[in-house]
Amino acid sequence: MDNLNELYRETDLQEREIKNLVRQVEELRNAIKTKSAGPNECAEVANLSTENIKLNHRLAILQSAIVKEMSKGKKDSSKMESIQEILTSLFSTAISSAFPDLVDAPTVIALSKDPQFGDYQCNSAMGIANTYKKLGKALAPRVIGSKILECVPAHPLIANMTVAGPGFVNVFLDKNYGVNILTDIFEHGVLPPPIDRKQKVLVDFSSPNIAKEMHVGHLRSTIIGESVCRLLEYLGHDVKRINHVGDWGTQFGMLIAHLQDKFPDYITKSPPIGDLQSFYKESKKRFDEDEEFKKRAYACVVKLQAFDPDYSKAWQLICDVSRREFQKVYDRLDITIEEKGESFYQSRMEKVVKELDSKNLLELDDGRKIMWADGINIPMTIVKSDGGFTYDTSDMAAIKYRIDEEKMDWLIYVTDVGQATHFDLVFNCAKKAKILDNTKRVDHVGFGVVLGEDKKKFKTRSGDTVRLIDLMDEGLKRSLDKLMENGRDKVLTPEELKSAQESVAYGCIKYADLSQNRIGAYVFSFDKMLEDKGNTAVYLLYAYTRIKSIARNANFTSEKIKELAKTTSISLDHEKEWKLGKTLLRFPDVLIKISSDLYLHHLCEYVYEVCTNFSEFYDNCYCIEKDSSGDIIKVNVGRILLAEATALIMAKCFHILGLKPVSRM
Amino acid sequence: MALQDEDLIKSFMSIGLSEQKAKETLKNVNVTNTLKLLLKQVSGVALSEGTGMLIYHLATKTKPQICEHLPFIAKYIASKKLDSTVRVDKAIEYVLSHLHSIKDDEFEKFCGVGIVVTPEQIEKAIEKQIASVKNELLEKRYRYNTGLLMQKVRTELPWADGKAIKSEVDIQILDLLGPKVEADLAPVAKDKKVKVAAKEKAPEVKNNVNTASSNALSIMDVMKKLNFHKPGENFKTDGYVVTERTQELMKQHLKLTGGKVKTRFPPEPNGILHIGHAKAININFGYAAANSGTCYLRYDDTNPEKEEEKFFVGIKDIVEWLGYKPSKVTHSSDNFDQLYEWAVQLIKADLAYVCHQTADEMKGFNPPPSPYRNRPIEESLQLFEDMKNGKMDEGAATLRMKVTLEEGKMDPVAYRVKYAPHHRTGTKWCIYPTYDYTHCLCDSIENITHSLCTKEFQSRRSSYYWLCNALNIYCPVQWEYGRLNVNYTVVSKRKIAKLIEENIVNDWDDPRLYTLTALRRRGFPAEAINNFCAQLGVTGAQSTVDPSMLEAFVRDYLNNTAPRVMAVLDPLKITITNYPHDKATTVEVPNFPNKPEAGNHNVAFDRTIYIERDDFMEVGEKGYRRLTKTQSVGLRHAGYVLDVTDVVKNKQGDVVEVVCNCTAVEKAATKPKAFIHWVSDPVSVEIRSYASLFKHKNPEDPAEVPGGFLSDCNLDSLSISTGYADKSILTAKIFEKFQFERLGFFSVDPDTNKDMIVFNKTVGLKEDAGK
Repeated sequence: MDNLNELYRETDLQEREIKNLVRQVEELRNAIKTKSAGPNECAEVANLSTENIKLNHRLAILQSAIVKEMSKGKKDSSKMESIQEILTSLFSTAISSAFPDLVDAPTVIALSKDPQFGDYQCNSAMGIANTYKKLGKALAPRVIGSKILECVPAHPLIANMTVAGPGFVNVFLDKNYGVNILTDIFEHGVLPPPIDRKQKVLVDFSSPNIAKEMHVGHLRSTIIGESVCRLLEYLGHDVKRINHVGDWGTQFGMLIAHLQDKFPDYITKSPPIGDLQSFYKESKKRFDEDEEFKKRAYACVVKLQAFDPDYSKAWQLICDVSRREFQKVYDRLDITIEEKGESFYQSRMEKVVKELDSKNLLELDDGRKIMWADGINIPMTIVKSDGGFTYDTSDMAAIKYRIDEEKMDWLIYVTDVGQATHFDLVFNCAKKAKILDNTKRVDHVGFGVVLGEDKKKFKTRSGDTVRLIDLMDEGLKRSLDKLMENGRDKVLTPEELKSAQESVAYGCIKYADLSQNRIGAYVFSFDKMLEDKGNTAVYLLYAYTRIKSIARNANFTSEKIKELAKTTSISLDHEKEWKLGKTLLRFPDVLIKISSDLYLHHLCEYVYEVCTNFSEFYDNCYCIEKDSSGDIIKVNVGRILLAEATALIMAKCFHILGLKPVSRM
Repeated sequence: MALQDEDLIKSFMSIGLSEQKAKETLKNVNVTNTLKLLLKQVSGVALSEGTGMLIYHLATKTKPQICEHLPFIAKYIASKKLDSTVRVDKAIEYVLSHLHSIKDDEFEKFCGVGIVVTPEQIEKAIEKQIASVKNELLEKRYRYNTGLLMQKVRTELPWADGKAIKSEVDIQILDLLGPKVEADLAPVAKDKKVKVAAKEKAPEVKNNVNTASSNALSIMDVMKKLNFHKPGENFKTDGYVVTERTQELMKQHLKLTGGKVKTRFPPEPNGILHIGHAKAININFGYAAANSGTCYLRYDDTNPEKEEEKFFVGIKDIVEWLGYKPSKVTHSSDNFDQLYEWAVQLIKADLAYVCHQTADEMKGFNPPPSPYRNRPIEESLQLFEDMKNGKMDEGAATLRMKVTLEEGKMDPVAYRVKYAPHHRTGTKWCIYPTYDYTHCLCDSIENITHSLCTKEFQSRRSSYYWLCNALNIYCPVQWEYGRLNVNYTVVSKRKIAKLIEENIVNDWDDPRLYTLTALRRRGFPAEAINNFCAQLGVTGAQSTVDPSMLEAFVRDYLNNTAPRVMAVLDPLKITITNYPHDKATTVEVPNFPNKPEAGNHNVAFDRTIYIERDDFMEVGEKGYRRLTKTQSVGLRHAGYVLDVTDVVKNKQGDVVEVVCNCTAVEKAATKPKAFIHWVSDPVSVEIRSYASLFKHKNPEDPAEVPGGFLSDCNLDSLSISTGYADKSILTAKIFEKFQFERLGFFSVDPDTNKDMIVFNKTVGLKEDAGK
């Protein structure tokens, strides 16, 4: 027995010893594992992660300093605050202080779909949870949401916050904040949102060809370009509107040669070219049929490009005729633009070729000089095999001129989407040639083709391209028809009728264009654009005049309204008032969004939403109460102010969209 | 210069100083200046004999706080109203406590102006005192301490002349005892306290030089004796700076504290507390407790880097383990907002400025003054805000205070930029205040009465006072004490971290370290650590002690508190062939042999027992007193003596078993030379024994250890073995301590689990040889 016990004891002991050894082996293994990552790598990773923590910390500090600076009460009185931006800044501060170990945790702020769950929501928690999961740390998104909520700095625009669902942080806006911002409109007008810095922007749009008629294809570039300019100017940028007209090239040789034949004394006497289109056709016919004329035409090109004064004069004359025609269109559409055509870049093209050559960026290819962009499999032809230049050349020269000489910060090209690849090439090569760098912004604002109601290319019945002048004339006619149909001619004075007619005609053409997502093709239909329901210019213009009439019915002049706004607050208590008010407060957000993606249809959607929310408000809330005899018994000033603020913001949107509201229609 | 000096010496001599004394005085700038001032004051007044010396006395005893009142006192001296050093001392005392409310009549009363003590009064008083101690006097004769006697007389007659008292006492004693006889001159025979220790057969804890005597002072005793200022009397402390607002602020302070002592223990929460902190904890908490005050635990968390939750928890845990309860736990970071506001206030008062000198430029001996020192206030304000808002790179700017420290260091930094998130304030701040800036302000905010710190901070005392006064806030008093260092170890957190990283020790609480968690784990009782601190006292001198001193306190304490059990670390099986019972029996073992009242526990005794392997030798050496083939040995507590009958060996020739016969002690033919411990039916336990981690006394000293402290580590300092212990330890809890008979003190390690009890060897019974 004793021996057995002894043996038991010994096995017992040995077992323990084994356990002990196993444990030690385990420990050693772990030690090896943790060290095997390689000490050098570890040190580098450690250094970088320390650096990262530092940078994140500094970022959080800077952000919260900015927030503090913003909420100091010393608000920039020349700007309207963007709620989205403030929330983004507040939440990104919150996120970096709640999770300082995270790298670039994105701050996602969205509008809430249901006002029951707040007005805005921060959706970052789910993303952060995923990031942590990848790092091997389990954190419930809801917990993350609560932690973010705790860290959001106080700000007057936030009334309340809740965490809902899987971890959304819902933000309820403070009504008083809304009242203050909207009431400010009466004192300072509708102000744009703040911008990071004022930039010099060049918008290259419209750009028709000299000696050719403007057609519907130029319409979109002109309308979109104009609106882009108006938006950027409103935001406070320094905008240069540039008409990069096609005024250079071989066709001018034949035009000059033809001019010399038809009007030999053109130098002293201005030739009466009424119809440049037919002049062009005549010369083209000769050029194609007459070999001798063709030779002369080429000789003229050489003279012109050598800046021979006589030839220049002829060229100038031809351009002037074209210019006058273009201007008529611009005037009717209320477009402002400055011409700087291709001819301007002649000498600069030569220079840019030399520069590219000296930088060894050009490659000889079958007599041509071409330039490759990284990652694009078609090259630019910088010099043709005959030594001539191409659009590629002039666009390179232009981009260099605009950046180096004009000192632009931001270039915007408004052309059809078909040229997207071309501009991709230009931007890429410009970067390669160190003309562009990351401090500059370049955008190609592309748009789809214009289709007829048959969804085919927009043509006249005879199959010709539609002249812009004709299109506008038809617009005027259709607009007048529409007004007469509604019997407006009986109500309005002739002058009122005319301005209503023009407002509707040009407004609907522009609005129909702008309200579409510009990238897609768009169907041109007067019937659709003249409808008085739905998201159309007609509906908006009518709605606007109706809103303006409310104050008029209460016998309030705009001066009186200004005066009233000093003592009375805008009313936002009623649910519908608050809904409309919150929509109005989003105005800066919408503009900021457009300034980043340059899609103007957001603004159309916004102004339409304002309109429908106004209707809801107007249907539910009395502004003016009248007795049976039509006498005013009560005026709700707070609501009149809300209506007036709506009108002011709509007017601002209209201005950007190029719509001209009239007081009566 | 020399001429001036000569003039001075002359004028000093004119008030009665010897030439040598005058020359000596000249070396003390402060006294010289004060004396000059005083002499000017009394110039033109004919000084009578002795008055001059009183002026000199005043100059040497005065405090800077009362310097504006010196002329007032001098006037009294000149007019002979203050005619003794006692009165001058009293005058200083009065003025010190009534800086702004001196009333002449009160002052005169306090200093006993005009009171004349007659020789008769002195004689009477002394007669009375002598009568009350007559018997003792007669017994002790001239060995009686007459100082006490004279003190009593002085209390009764505060204005009596000391010399007069002395001579009168001498006369009266001579009168009583007669002249000294030979016996009076013989050396005193020392009182020998014969300590009769209960003689034990087994080895006992031997007293040695380092053993703390059990009647040593407790920390409370030490603290009660400290001569610090009373709350509200901050200005009585030397070096304390009094301003116009001091009194008003002091009133507020007293209102808030109710006149209680308030101290704080302010560790940085970025590491684990070590033995040096034990002294700080004991002094701060102990001083508060001894004076019915309160002590805060303040985490000095101004440095955002590496502040981990575990350190916060660990610090509080250890404070409580040492037996102290903070009246409140605070954090320096609680005050960041206030500190920032004050910094702005300093800038506005032109007492601080933003500087762009690099850390290197500020370093070293006599660095050049900052070129930014006189920049416009507005500029500093803006830059300081920029620092706060993250616009400055780390190191690109600091906020500096316009004050010069004791050793000449100019303009200490108050704030620096650091992009690191803070444990408690998150990303709120990127400027963090320095020790120099934060410490005194937090003390002030917390209304600390005694800011106790180690001697190194003496040089920061002036900036401490300056800053509180610059901000017009209550100013605590800083008192310094010597730092405690222990040899053969490192305590810096960076170095311990390195030891852990290099796998030389396991963690912050590895029992080879001198962190307090490590000492606790090793089995050091908190009481022993506190007693050790009490023994060191609160002197200004830095004390460096060997671990053996601390161990002596541990041994001393455990000897009375850790019950005895038997355990064998290296078991050797013994089979008793003539075991006198059929089955196992039990034997009673006393928990404390010296204290029978502390009870017993039973251990099994059976045919098979285990003894320590080295308690047996086949053939004994000279002086070997334990079991051999031919020498019997006694079994402690069992009452038997063993005689070897057979030795069983394995193939390798190792002894695996010894077969013995047993005989009851009283029947044994010869009395065994020794009694050894043993176990029967034991449990196995893991025993971890530790040797010193470092081979040299100062492992951090490059002169002693050129290869750096890591090279000095004894890598075999931990040895783990499996031994047997009697089953009574099965119920032992973590940190419970035992004395394993004949082996030492052992404490249950937290690694203990249901399969295995793990013991750490706390200390041996005797001090290790060689140290």
